[in-house]
Formats: sequence, C-alpha cells, structure tokens
Amino acid sequence: MTFEWIKIPQSLLTLFIVLNYGLLLTALVQKIAARAGRRHGIPIWQNYVDLLKNYGLRTNITHGVMYYLGPVFRLSGGVGLLLFVPTIYGSEMFSNLSFAGDLILALYFIFFGTLGMALGAGESGHPHAAIGVSRGLSQVTAAELPLALAVFSVALQYHTLSVTDIVAAQQGGVAHWTLVTNPLAVVAGMFSFLGSMMRSPFDVVLAPQEIPIGPPTEYHSSYLALMQTNRAIFPVAKMVIYMNLFFGGASSWAEFCLKIFLIYMVSALVGVVFPRFRVEQSIRWFLTWAVPVGVAAILLV
Amino acid sequence: MVSPLFILAIGLGAAFGVGLLDARSRGLAFAITLAGLAAMSAIGAEWLWAFVVDGVQPIMVMTAGAPPPFAINLRMGPAEAALVAIICLTGLLSAIQMREALLRLGRRAMAVLSIAVMALSGIVLTRDVFNLFVFFELVVIATGGLVLLSDDPRATAAGFKYLVVSQVASMLMLIGIVFVYHAGGSLNVDDLIGSPAVAAGGAAGLAFLLLMIALVLETKPFPANGWALDVYEAAHPGFGAIFSAASASAALYAVDKVVGVGGAAFLPMLTAIGLVTFVGANLLALSQTVDRRLLGYSSVAQVGLVLAVIGLRDLLGERYLMVAGGLLVAHAVAKAGLFWLSELVAGRDFAAWAALRRRPILIFAFATFVAMLAGLPPFPGFYAKWELTHALMAQGRPELVAAILVGALFEAGYLFRWFGRALKATPPEGVSDLPVSKVGVVVLTALGGWVLGEVWGAASPYGDVLGATPLLVALAFLALEPLSARIKNTLAIVVLVAAFASGWPHFDPLQLIFAAIVLLGGAVIFVASYAFADGRRTGFYPSAMLMYAGLAMLIVAKDTFGFFAAWEVLTIGSYFLILRGKQSEPHALSYVVFSLGGAFAILAGFALAAETTALFPIAGLKQVAAPFAPWVFVLLAVGFMTKTASIGLHIWLPGAHAEAETDVSPMVSGILLKAGLFGLFMLLMQMGRQSLYGVDLTLVLLWIGAASALLGNLMAVFQEDAKRLLAYSSIGQMGYAVFGLALMNHLGWLMALMFVINHYIYKSSLFLSVGGVYKRTGTREMYRMGGLITLMPLTFFAVLVGIVAMSGVPPLSGFGGRWIFYNAILDTPARLPMVVIFLSGPIAFLYLFRLIHTIFLGQLKDEHRRIREAPIWLIAPQMLYVAFLIGFALFPGLALRKVDAFISRFIPEHALNWDGLTITSAYGYWNPVSIMIVIVVIFVTLLAWLVFLNRRAQMVKQFNIVFAAERPYRPETTHFAWNFFAPYRRALGPLTEPYFERFWQAQTDALHGWAGFARRFYTGDGQVYAFQVVGFVVIVCWAAMGMTP
Amino acid sequence: MITLSLAVGFALVLAGLYGALTNRNILRMIVSFTVADTGVNIVLVAVGWMRGRTAPILDDAVPIAEAAQRIIDPLPQALVLTAIVIGLGVTALMLAYAYRLYSTAGTLDVSKFTELKW
Repeated sequence: MTFEWIKIPQSLLTLFIVLNYGLLLTALVQKIAARAGRRHGIPIWQNYVDLLKNYGLRTNITHGVMYYLGPVFRLSGGVGLLLFVPTIYGSEMFSNLSFAGDLILALYFIFFGTLGMALGAGESGHPHAAIGVSRGLSQVTAAELPLALAVFSVALQYHTLSVTDIVAAQQGGVAHWTLVTNPLAVVAGMFSFLGSMMRSPFDVVLAPQEIPIGPPTEYHSSYLALMQTNRAIFPVAKMVIYMNLFFGGASSWAEFCLKIFLIYMVSALVGVVFPRFRVEQSIRWFLTWAVPVGVAAILLV
Repeated sequence: MVSPLFILAIGLGAAFGVGLLDARSRGLAFAITLAGLAAMSAIGAEWLWAFVVDGVQPIMVMTAGAPPPFAINLRMGPAEAALVAIICLTGLLSAIQMREALLRLGRRAMAVLSIAVMALSGIVLTRDVFNLFVFFELVVIATGGLVLLSDDPRATAAGFKYLVVSQVASMLMLIGIVFVYHAGGSLNVDDLIGSPAVAAGGAAGLAFLLLMIALVLETKPFPANGWALDVYEAAHPGFGAIFSAASASAALYAVDKVVGVGGAAFLPMLTAIGLVTFVGANLLALSQTVDRRLLGYSSVAQVGLVLAVIGLRDLLGERYLMVAGGLLVAHAVAKAGLFWLSELVAGRDFAAWAALRRRPILIFAFATFVAMLAGLPPFPGFYAKWELTHALMAQGRPELVAAILVGALFEAGYLFRWFGRALKATPPEGVSDLPVSKVGVVVLTALGGWVLGEVWGAASPYGDVLGATPLLVALAFLALEPLSARIKNTLAIVVLVAAFASGWPHFDPLQLIFAAIVLLGGAVIFVASYAFADGRRTGFYPSAMLMYAGLAMLIVAKDTFGFFAAWEVLTIGSYFLILRGKQSEPHALSYVVFSLGGAFAILAGFALAAETTALFPIAGLKQVAAPFAPWVFVLLAVGFMTKTASIGLHIWLPGAHAEAETDVSPMVSGILLKAGLFGLFMLLMQMGRQSLYGVDLTLVLLWIGAASALLGNLMAVFQEDAKRLLAYSSIGQMGYAVFGLALMNHLGWLMALMFVINHYIYKSSLFLSVGGVYKRTGTREMYRMGGLITLMPLTFFAVLVGIVAMSGVPPLSGFGGRWIFYNAILDTPARLPMVVIFLSGPIAFLYLFRLIHTIFLGQLKDEHRRIREAPIWLIAPQMLYVAFLIGFALFPGLALRKVDAFISRFIPEHALNWDGLTITSAYGYWNPVSIMIVIVVIFVTLLAWLVFLNRRAQMVKQFNIVFAAERPYRPETTHFAWNFFAPYRRALGPLTEPYFERFWQAQTDALHGWAGFARRFYTGDGQVYAFQVVGFVVIVCWAAMGMTP
Repeated sequence: MITLSLAVGFALVLAGLYGALTNRNILRMIVSFTVADTGVNIVLVAVGWMRGRTAPILDDAVPIAEAAQRIIDPLPQALVLTAIVIGLGVTALMLAYAYRLYSTAGTLDVSKFTELKW
C-alpha cells in the first residue's frame, strides 16, 4: 500500500472546517440555551476571543511532564477521532484517514484523549481535578454502555464495522436511515450521547459550583487554549459518528452542518429542561433506562 | 535365601536375649535390639529383591515338619516380602528415634519392641487363621507395653482404652475362628478358600463375618476408632510410626488374606466400611489442631482407603497390587516419616512445626511426606490414584470416585493447612538441638519415598513422571540449593531459554505461543529475580522450576496421564511459590485446595473419557461417545477453570497473587493462569461443542467468561491494594479469554490467544512495577502513595504503557485484542452474554486510571520524598515489556499469523486476511502501522506547537495550586485517593458484595463446624469406645445380613 | 449337651460384655472381661466336642489306629489352651495398667480418664 500524500492537506482542510464550525456551533448552542433561560448569552464569536486570549497569555507554569502532556493527549484524541472517520460520504477528499481502521478504532480512540487529560489533571495534584476525574470516569463507563450496544446493534444490522459501508447502506432517503430501520439502537445511542456531552443533567463532572470546572482546574493559558480547541473539535467529531451511524451520514458540507446542529440541539434541549443528576443517580439512570434499550436493540436486530 | 522363619526367630531371639542381659547393660541391649531389627529388615529386603529382580516364585514354609492343616505354614511372596520389609524397617528406624526412651526404660521395653515387630511380621507371613489370632494378641500385648514408652502421662489411659477395645475384638475373632474352623474343617487360609461351607453363608457365614469384622476392627474403622486416635496422640511418636505404618499394614494384609475365604460377597462390605472411614475420618480431621492426633485421623483415613481398595480387588483385577500397594506404601512411608518428624518438634500445635525451618532439609522431607499423602506426583499414591479412578470409572462406579476424591480433598485441606502453618508461623523461641541421627532417619525416609516413586513410575504402564527431563532439571535445583542465588538465577534463565530452543522445532504454533510465554516469558521474569537474589533464597528456585517444569510438560503432553501429571506438578510448584509471600498462608491454602479440587475434576474427567483403555491419548477425547462426552467436558472445564479463576472458583486468586513475592506475582499471574487457558484450548479443540440436557455447554462457558470479566473488573475498581487490584483484573482478563474460547469461532480463539500474549506482558509488567513501588515505599495501599512520577519515572512510564495497552486504547497492542474481539462476537448468535461482556469493557478504565493516578500522580507524601527509582533489575524487564508491547502493537502478525493459520485447521471460516499491513476480517479492517503513525504524527505536532507556545513554562511547587481560598499544607488531606470511586460503589450497591467469598466461606465453616461437632462422638471414655465398637459390629452384621441373603 | 454348653458360653460372653460396658470401675471391667473370656473358651470347647467320643489323648485306651474315629477334635482344645494363656497375659497387662492408672490418678473410675478425646 502506498500512502497518498494529498491526504494530509485534505485532512487538514477537514480539520479547519470542523474547527471553525465547532467554535461557532458551541457558541450558538450556548446562546440558544441562554435564551431559553431568559439570559442574553454570549456573542457568537466569543469562542474565538477566548481562544486567542488564551493562546496569547504568557503566564506559564507547569506541574510536571504528564501535566504538560495532558492537553496534547486531549487534542490529539479529538483530532484523531475526527480524522479516523470519513466526514462526507462519497467524497474521497473528506474520507480523511479512515483507511487506518474501522468503527472500533474510532470508538476506542475516544478514550485516548480522556485518559491523557485525566492523567495530566492528576499530576497537578489538585483534589478537585481528581474528584472530577473520578466522577467523570464513573459516569462515562455507564454512559458508554448504551452506545457500545447501539453500535453493535448497527454493526449486526449491516454486517460490517466499516463506517463507510454503514453510511452506504443508509442511502436512498430517510426511510433507509438507521433511525427508521433500527430505532431502538438510535434511542440507546442518543441516551448515551446525552451523557457524553457534558450538559445537564449529566454535567456533574465539571460541576462549576462545587469543584470549579473539575478536571481542567489547574489548566490555564496555552494549555487551556489547546483544550478549548479540542472542545470545539471533539463534540463535532463524536457527532460525526452518530450522524454516520444513525442518521444517514452527510454527502455535502451543508447537510453535514445541518445534521450536526440538529444532533447537538438534542442535548441542548434536554439540558435546558432537566436539572443536574448526582453521579450515582446518572449511573443508575443509564443502567435502568438506557442499557435495557440497548440490550433490546441487540436482541431484536 | 534365608528362611523367612528367621524373621520370627530373630525377633524372638533378640527379645529373649535382651531379657537375659544384665539390667544395667542397656547400651548392649539397645545394640542387640537394633541388630535384630536390622537383620529382620535385611531378610525381608533380600526376599523382596529376589522376587522383584530375580523373579523368584513365592514359597511356602512348613513348620513342625508337617504340611498344613496339621501344622502352621508361612508364605513368602512379593507382597509379604514388601510388607515385612516395611514393618521391620519401620521398627528399626523407630527404635533409633526412641533411643532415649528405650534406654530409660531398659531391656524389657526393647524386648517388647522386638516382639511387636516380630508379631507384625508374623501376621503378614502366617497362613493359619488361629496363628493370626495369636500374633494379633501378641501385638496387643506388645502395644500395651510400648504405649508406656511415652513421656505423656495420658498415654496410660490411652493404652488401657486400647486394651479394652482389643479384648472385644479378640473375643469376636476367636468365636469367628472356631466356627469357621468347625464349618471349613481347617485353620489354613488356603484350605478354607476352597471351602464351600463358608461361602454358602448361614451360621458359618456369620462366623466368618465375625472374624472379618474383628480383623477390620484392627484397621481402626470409622467411627469405631476413638481408642486408636488416643493412642496416636499420646504414644511416643516412634511408636506412633509403628502403630500407623506397620500395624496398619499388617492388619490390612490380614484382611486381604482372609477375605478370600468368604468370597466376593464380603467385598462390598469392606469397600463401604473403607470409604466411610476415609471420608469420615478426613472430615473430622479438618477441625484438629494437635499434630499427632491429626496424624492419627489421617492414618485411619488412609487405611480406610486401602481397605476400600481391598474390597474392590475383583474389580481392579491385575491393577489391584499396584493400587493397594501404592496407597499403602505411600501411607506407610509418609506417616512414619511424619511421626518421626513430630519428635523433632517441641510443641504439639501446628505452629510449633515452624521449628523445622532451621533445617531446610527437614522442610523438604515434610513437603515430601505431605505430597505423598496427598497423592501428588511423582509418588506411588499418585499412580495408585490414577489407576483407581480409571478402573472405577471403567466399571461404571462414579459414585465411588466421587467419595474418594471428596475425602482426598478434605485430606489435602488439612495437610496443606498444617504445612502452610509450619512454613509461615514464627519459629518458637529457644533453640533445641536436632540430633543428627533423628534428622538422618527422617531424611532417609523422605529419600525412600522418592525411590518408591521411581519404582512405581518404572512399573507404571503410563509413563514415569520422575523420568521426565523437565522435572529432573527442576529437582536438580534442589541439589543446587547451597549455591548463591545469583548463580541459581542465571542457571534458571539459561535452562528456560535452552528448553525453549530445544523444543522449538517440535512445537505446533499453539504450543509455540504457550511455550514462548512459559519459557521465554519465565526467563524474562527471572531477570527481575536478580533484585532479590541476596544470599541463597532457599526454596525459591526449586519451587519456581517445579512450576515451569510442570508447565513445560503440560504443553507437550500427548496423553491424559502426562497431562494430568504435569498439571499436578505445576500446581505443587506454584503452591510453594505462592506460599513464600509474607502473609500468604491462607491464600496459598485456598489456592492449593481449589487447584486440587480442580485437578480431581480433571482426573475424574479423564478417567470417564478413557473408559477401558488405560493409556489414553489426548486426541482420543474427540472420540468420546455421547452419554459420557458432556460429563467429561463439564469435569475438565471445571478443572481448568479453577486455574483461570473463573467466577465462582476465583476466590483464591486475589490473595494468592497479591500476597506473593514481587517477582512471584508475575509468574503466577502472567504465566500460571495460562495453564488453565491451555487446558480449555485443548478441551475445545478436541471436544468441540457439547450439550447436556439440551444446554449447549459452550454457551455456559460463554456466560461464565462474561460474568468473570464483569465481576472481576468490577471488584478491581474497589481495591485499595495495588496488587489486589491487578489480581482482580486478572480474573476479568481471563474471563475475556474464556469468553473468546467459548465463542467457538475462528476469531474468538484468536482473540483468546491475543489475550494470552497480551495479558502475560502487561500483567507481568504491572506486577513488577507495583512490586518496585512496594519495595521502595513499603506499602501496597495506593492511597498511602502519590506523586511518585518524578521519583520513579521509568516505573511510571512502564505503568503508563501497560495500562494503555490493557485498556485497549489505540495505538498499543491491547487495541488489537479488542478489535479481534468485536469481530469475533459479530459471528456469534449468543447475544446476551455478549451484552454482559460489553458492560465490563469500560470498567477497566476505572481501575487502571486509579492505579496510575493514586500511585504516581497527585500529592507526594512527606515520607516518600527521598525514595529512589526501583532497582535496575526490576526496571529492565519492564522496559523489555514496553518495547514488546509497542512492537506487538505494530506487527501483531509476527505472532498471530501462524496461529491464525493453525486455527484454520479446526475452524476454517472467517480467518483474517493479512495482506500487506492491513488486517481484514469479514466485517472490518485495521492497519496497526498506520494507526501508530497517524497518532504519533498528530501527537508530536501538537506537542511541538505547545512547546513553542509554552517554552518558558516554569515548574512550580507541590502545593502551588488554585485551591478555593485555602492553602493546602498536608499531602494526606489533599491527595484524593481513598475510596476513589465512591459514587460508583453507591450506584451499584449490591453488585459489589462478595457473594462468592461468602458462599465458600459458608461451605468451609459448615464443614469445620460439622467436623468440630461430630468429633465430640469420641468422648475419651474407654467404655464409650468399647460400646461404639460393639455398636459398629452390630450395625455391620445387620447390614451385611441384609446384603447377603 | 453341645447346645447347653454353647448357650452357657454365649451367655457368659454377653454377661461379661454387659458387665464390661456398664461397670465404671476398671477392676470390675477387667473381671467382666475374664468372665467373657471364659465364655469364649467354653464356646470353643463345645464346638470341638463330638457325641460318644473320648478325650484326644493317645494312650492305651485309644490305639493310634482307631484314633481318628474315637477321639473328639483335639484342635479346639489346643486353641482354648492357647487362648487361656493369651487371656492371662492380657488380663495381667490390664491389671498392671489399672495399678498404674490408680497410682497416678488415684481413681479407678474409667470415665475419669478422658483427657484425650475428640
């Protein structure tokens, strides 16, 4: 196999588009959520401002090597996740680096950044970071379950683990989407989605009131900037997987933007309506409501 | 040839000769006694040699110049010669052990000893029933005399109880003899055997029954044996040895000799009594705390087992001698040796045996005797156990096999509890000298046990365990013990590598993988042992090499016997290894009990599979027919799953792995567990799917694997002890492997193999890392550590790579395992267990993060500020593992391609496609090299950018953190570590309760409670004992009358 | 005659056993055992007896040629002799034990000697 070097600029282009879209999208959704709470909300370009400010800050301290590497892990996780999955269906240009592996690679790579950042936060020695990680890991193990079940249900349904093939199987109108053909898997997957978006009712990990912002407590300036970059890329990368698995993928950037926005709105809608769960409550919620749906999806597919 | 009569003549002569001496010349009297016993032993040994080596025919010796029935005759055959040799040798060695007591009590005691040995020999030799009675009475009188040799004041009462009971027995015997004589017209056993009157039943039958019961009473059957237990406990151990080894052998032979008269109808009675005795006595022995009384219970049990075998002699056919002889010889040698050992120990509780630790050779002897009693290879009892179970299964008597194995498990339980106590208790204060002659006797006996093992091995048609090269090499390390540990360690590494190199051309791919892990992997772990190689490290190398020998033999075993022998060898070796840990006593015990229980299941399974063919090739498991096949499958699978610590059978693992020494933990975790997987591989390859009552057994395995994965992972999350955490995680990992095997598809098996390799690497690496931390910090409690990353950076790096690999996060090798796993389960119709295993996946992150965070990150404790990196010898293998993890991640094909092709021979469907660098399955694809490159490029680019932005980053002090309006000042209160996943525990609640521990605890408590309650039956009142004997006689008579019309 | 002897013999055996099992005093137990031993010996002799025959002593009254038809079975009698000797030995040993037990513990009650149990 020979590597086509053109892949590199193509992937960088994807990255660039998604970064900007992500920055705008998160701000937009935050604004919508604020309006729902009768607040004015942030300006749409706020994320750019924050990012530039943080990249520009010169207060540089470090707690050690792992602390230093944490944000790198985090952002590598986001970028890698994005690039291991084809973004636009039918486009060789935006199939990115998906030749390296299939759906399983993407699913397991989600943990790369989480793990690295948790380690970095751990080295800061701040108890709030450790508490946040403890909560986050506890919750994410429960929240990942319905997704794993849903993904597997989908893989069983289409007899493949290749993302491209799964999207291909959903072409030909809404009626072919997994949403219609395997609704249980989609419900389970979306439950899991709620848990992974750091929004209410599952945002106790960051818990701004009791453990100021959780794991990233000690991160500042360029470290924080890297993480903020990731915060724009990573949700979109994750939603690309959801879109590809459940909602027929996207064959153009316009369709991509619309679908990602709508998927994001699900968690935003739920977030503005429901108050926050404690960790054990959210674990139990996932185990009693989301997991059975996932199990049913696997058994009935 | 010296006439056997001289055995009796010399005994009597010595007794009378001693009596004629001056009362003061005790030394001379002792010399005469020893000389007499030696001469008797020599005659017995000479005959034995003549029979075995020269092939002489058995002879009859006439006395009083007339043939039977007009005069008594003696028979000398191989069995007689062997028993006489045992009896006389026991007498001789006991005399040496009892030297002080004999010299104190003078010539009369010595005369009585000579008489006792002579009379026991007489019981063996005579063919006359009444003469038998006379010899028995002589034994009674001599025993009555010898019991008084003891320093224990309670011995008098014990002797009196003994006399009371033997009065009852002798009356029965006498009445029985005279009526048998009346009916059969002769007192000669050989004449009576043909006699129709006795076999016909009726009054003569009853008379014979009385005679048999009287003889059986001499074998101390359960429960009519309280008197014997008291004698065992109170008598001088030298005499205890005679009472246990010699008296019992003689009584058993008397039963064997006489039972032929009554014919086959009496055999079931013996079997029943024998088995009840074996199981009952072993059960009651569980609650014993006094060593000699325990030996008494054990003697009673062993003799009961031989009695049962005598009852089965028709069924055993030509194997009878081998079985009965093997059990008897193992019992005699081991029990005599243990009684003699007990004389070297001052206290009577188990802990007092710690005194033996001052002489390691005595521990060797102790281990030898325990192994002989437990029927472990390479001793005669092992061959006997194998033959016995096979013969019984072939005859369709599984219930007997079950009873025997249950009894044997009880026995192993208390023997190993005792052994463990002796090795782990604090030795008593004050050094008492161990006389050379007594130590010599014990060591000689132990060596005799090994010789007998070789004798039985050479005679066994299945193969000689002692002849196996790996075992011999392991035993050679015993001889090397005086060398320094560094030399032995180097030798061990060389031996393992050489073994792999020599075996390489002959292995198939599967064997190659396991052999590489066991031998090369073992060699790598030995590198870490250099860190502990100060002094001699007595006991470590023979144990470790024994385990490796067993594993090496297991991998190449061709037949079931070789497989089982290897299994037991590796079990013993690993037991000794595990027992070396400081706090590992209870865990080693539960390990060995579970392992032996599993081994017995395997034994029963093999026996059931073999049916009538004695030497059964493993490949023959394929052909096992329908009604048995599922049961064989169940038995073998249960046996193997005790080693993989599947859920329900796992409770030994956490303690055993956690408490083991630093370099032992990776051996028993990374390597030993694979033995179980190898067994399961073998089983599934040969037997495939089996179903029992319509249930697919591989589906059951699937559930067990999934449950192990889930619960093992779950329990690991809540451990505070780093090694326990790793141990529980092994349960989970093995659960994955079992699950993969049970999938019964190509990728499932491949995944199991991937786990075999990966688990070895990362678990060994992590155990060594944690071991290094333990060595430096002195604790395994993770919350007591923290912030060690800067002090132990290499260890941290190894742990980091280890946990990334283990969690399955790309790009390291764990991901390959997960990828194959997902592809494998796409093929299976069993979806529910699949869900369970999904549940367990993410949980691994919890404990892995906790492991690395609470040890290396967070707040450094004040007491740890000055610790250094772990020793280089611990770091070196870890770095090797890291390199291998990365290498294996890049090129999994190096190890897996061949195996993939090999598995295709069994399951051709859905093999992987290895074209180029991309690995393709029917469902997906995976390119390890690309993944690695992509991730590394992204990571390095981002890192470079961060370094560019943040090049002047300044290291700050530990407490320089943004802590809400407070300044933290103590690491202990700032390090968030203890009960790290409290919310998780709250959420799961009942799932985290230790149900299985409680279950097994309840079982053992119930057994011990039962034993403690039931043994009160032996009230200690001589009259009650006599009453029990009478009751026993009545019940046996009643039952026998009911059985024989 | 045989029946009577046998009956007496067995009665003595049972009586002796009963005595040995019910009497707490060691000396009484020993006496009971000798009673039972006597019973056993009577049984032995009775088994060897045959109607109308004489004692197995080869003298003028019983010529060797007719011995096989005229004497009773001599063997049980020989056995009884041996058994009596052995019984004597055992009884003596038991008495010695009784003496020793009394001298160390100061009692002859068998139920007092239960330090060894379970």
